[in-house]
Amino acid sequence: MSIQTLEIIRKRLEERPEELRQARKNGHKVVGWTGYNVPEEIVHALGFIPVRIALGGDDRLVEVGARYASSKTCVFIREIVGAFSENKDPYIQQTDILAFDATCLQNYRAAEVIEYFFKKDVVVLAVPRNFAEDDAKTYFVHEANEFTRLLEERAGRLLDNATLGESVALYNDIRKTLKSIYTFQAARDNVISWEEVYDLIQAGDLLDKKEYLSLLQQTLAELTELQHNPVIEADCDSRIFISGSLIPRGDRKLISIINLAGGRIVGDDLWSGILPHLDLDIKEISPAGVALGYLNRTPHAALPYLDLESDRRLKKLHELLSQSRAHGVIYHTLRYCDPFTFKAKETKNVLAKSGIPLLEIHTEYAGSDYEAMKTRVEAFIEMIRIKSELVEEEAA
Amino acid sequence: MGKQLFRYSEANKEGFLDSDNITFNDGSIVTPEEIWHYLTVEGPVKYPSAFEVNLYQGNRGSRDETLPTSLKTRYLGLTFSARMEKAKDNGKSIAFIQGGQAVDPYTAADTIALRPGLVNQWNNGLEYGNDINKENLRRKKSKEKAFHDMSFEACQTGGYEHVQAGNLRIDVIAPYTVLRCSDVSYGVEAHRHGPNKDVKLLNVDFPLRNQADKPWAIEYFAGNLRRLVHTLDEVTGRKTTEDDLLKAIKLHNEGRRLGTELAELWWSADIPPTNSDDRASLVSLGNLETHGDVQASLSVLKEARKFIAERVKNGVKGHAVTDNPKRLFILGSCVGINGSRSEDAGAIVVGRDDQWSHCSSLVEEEGDPYYNLAKTTLEYPYEQGIEKRAQWTIEQIRKSRADGVIFIHNWGCNTQAAISRPIVDIIKRETGIPTYIHERDLHGLRDEQEQNRVNAFIEML
Ligand code: SF4
Ligand code: SF4
Repeated sequence: MSIQTLEIIRKRLEERPEELRQARKNGHKVVGWTGYNVPEEIVHALGFIPVRIALGGDDRLVEVGARYASSKTCVFIREIVGAFSENKDPYIQQTDILAFDATCLQNYRAAEVIEYFFKKDVVVLAVPRNFAEDDAKTYFVHEANEFTRLLEERAGRLLDNATLGESVALYNDIRKTLKSIYTFQAARDNVISWEEVYDLIQAGDLLDKKEYLSLLQQTLAELTELQHNPVIEADCDSRIFISGSLIPRGDRKLISIINLAGGRIVGDDLWSGILPHLDLDIKEISPAGVALGYLNRTPHAALPYLDLESDRRLKKLHELLSQSRAHGVIYHTLRYCDPFTFKAKETKNVLAKSGIPLLEIHTEYAGSDYEAMKTRVEAFIEMIRIKSELVEEEAA
Repeated sequence: MGKQLFRYSEANKEGFLDSDNITFNDGSIVTPEEIWHYLTVEGPVKYPSAFEVNLYQGNRGSRDETLPTSLKTRYLGLTFSARMEKAKDNGKSIAFIQGGQAVDPYTAADTIALRPGLVNQWNNGLEYGNDINKENLRRKKSKEKAFHDMSFEACQTGGYEHVQAGNLRIDVIAPYTVLRCSDVSYGVEAHRHGPNKDVKLLNVDFPLRNQADKPWAIEYFAGNLRRLVHTLDEVTGRKTTEDDLLKAIKLHNEGRRLGTELAELWWSADIPPTNSDDRASLVSLGNLETHGDVQASLSVLKEARKFIAERVKNGVKGHAVTDNPKRLFILGSCVGINGSRSEDAGAIVVGRDDQWSHCSSLVEEEGDPYYNLAKTTLEYPYEQGIEKRAQWTIEQIRKSRADGVIFIHNWGCNTQAAISRPIVDIIKRETGIPTYIHERDLHGLRDEQEQNRVNAFIEML
């Protein structure tokens, strides 16, 4: 079965760089952003074209990036720095301003390095580590106002609440539609795969937001026609959930290995996946309200939280696992990604208590570990298959 | 056959005995006579590794026998573990902190603050009688365990496994989450899944990016400092007042002033008055936290200033320093090069940015002490963006008349590694001084390869 709107989206992505070029010729400015807590609605409402800077999978660019940001920086950041150095990525080429946040310190360092070496105009949003505390929220509100002020300066206009309200409504609709679509990928009959939905989510990082919403709505309409009532159940015995470091556009190594090994991916809590679109509740139309909405979502692993029992990230993981009826978790950690590698063992132990196995795959963008990864993923899928069969036998 | 051990010569004993006592936090003192006995009799038996004549010793400890204060820092280092054990037996509270921060609020709250290196030192000193090989093996084993429990990409593990096993009686893990360190906040978080539920956890949230210019950021960090003191008070059961903090700031300012004076005195000399390791051990006293005892550090520091002034005046050269050595300035966190082996190659280390950054940052004494401390901390030169940090570093390089700069960073120290190239770039551009970036390999072992590269750089100079 093929969803026709997905084809349209692919085509629109091909056309998008040229479209951005034209828009810039007509005086529009493109803001390249990266960071879990960058409030994109503010960027949008100021009339900028937001484009997310997230790319991976190119080992050559990682090496280029290492010349500027050292080989000890996480692979993702090295690739981004490498891409700025080469300036060949069609989206990076089109950026006028960059908006980075400091949720992850390495992301922040990337901002500094790119600013220094490639003379880019970078606006940084600081993010408190103790994000759950009230004073941290107050601090973040100040930072969000400052971030807005810096963007206003660049936009040459002030942010008005009515426009911000429109942007928030648009983004809320996008998130709502994405959530509905996401249900289909984990459902029986598989009318759309997780992989297709994942690409669809990432298309939103680049396309015009209004158009994107309408494409999402079309996709949802097609899906609803194909499957009126999506039911999520454990219909196969190798339902895999992906967690850990982000998997941006350009990096599909692990995903293809899981597919080849016969695993069906049914969910994720990746920053490059569905997670940032969940639970974003903007209570007030103002920079502060938007920023707090972001900060109050499921926190990114780069923000430490000191009480295991009340950790919302782990709670969300449990919730998503149960919703997707996954049998096991493949926990993806990128080289030098401290936020996720430090938590690998803990997450494994926590999930083990609920009987959910976890396999950590630590990797970079080189192809040299492909076979080793494949062997481990195959063994893991085999193991969860046997386990599921045993459970079924016992139930019978 | 036993290993060859270094011995202090009796010929220098008399001069040493004329020097001052060390006074400790609890008011107790130790006399030069007792120190000499420890360094010549007790110490070599307990810690043969520290006295072993071995090329591979990281810091072989002072052998400058005519500089009494160096021997005293040696004594404080060797007795560190026993002193921490004693402090715990006497009910003293101990906190784990970060390497790049001052400890004023901990002093105010009557808590000993130990950075990762000191936590490891405490643990290392718990076992007696090891030679260097055994000692290295033991450290490596415990590192492996910590890597397993935390992450093998952790740069330092700060005695995680020992704290969790209850071997090191640390009450609270409460560091500043400064930008220099990519690992520390995750290290704190890792403790939440360990078996030791008694250890309290707190990240003192240090905000980023030009924060010292933002009143709300200073207020936020000041609030974090208040939270820190409150947490420390929960452990000790006392109530730390603003006045306590002001007193601690004054005390630490005295240390910082003396440390700065000492460093500048050293730099002013045409002939280096001490070798690299002795310089580092004396200047770092300025932060007063190096030996887990603020008063002890202060008393040695005061005396050191006097001795160094004398040496500078009389043109005395430090022990084992070659004639006209090449002067190296070292950048990067929690790590340095092997001083004595670099001296053998014709160089001397004249300064470092780490530790020095906060030693040279005095805190305002008038007004709200929390606000003042927060402001100064957010102004640490080391924590600034690339350009600002580089400009401060250039100033230090010029003051120290360095001939070459080495930026060295540890395995897994991502946030230092990331800006090493831009920082040295600016230094090279503005000073024309040769620079070199070195990445220390996994597990932080100082190996032959590293020294070969350093030596090649020295030769090039
Ligand atoms: S979260 Fe991990 S992958 Fe993402 S920027 Fe930080 S270190 Fe890199
Ligand atoms: S070397 Fe770097 S990462 Fe390691 S403890 Fe020091 S500052 Fe932190």
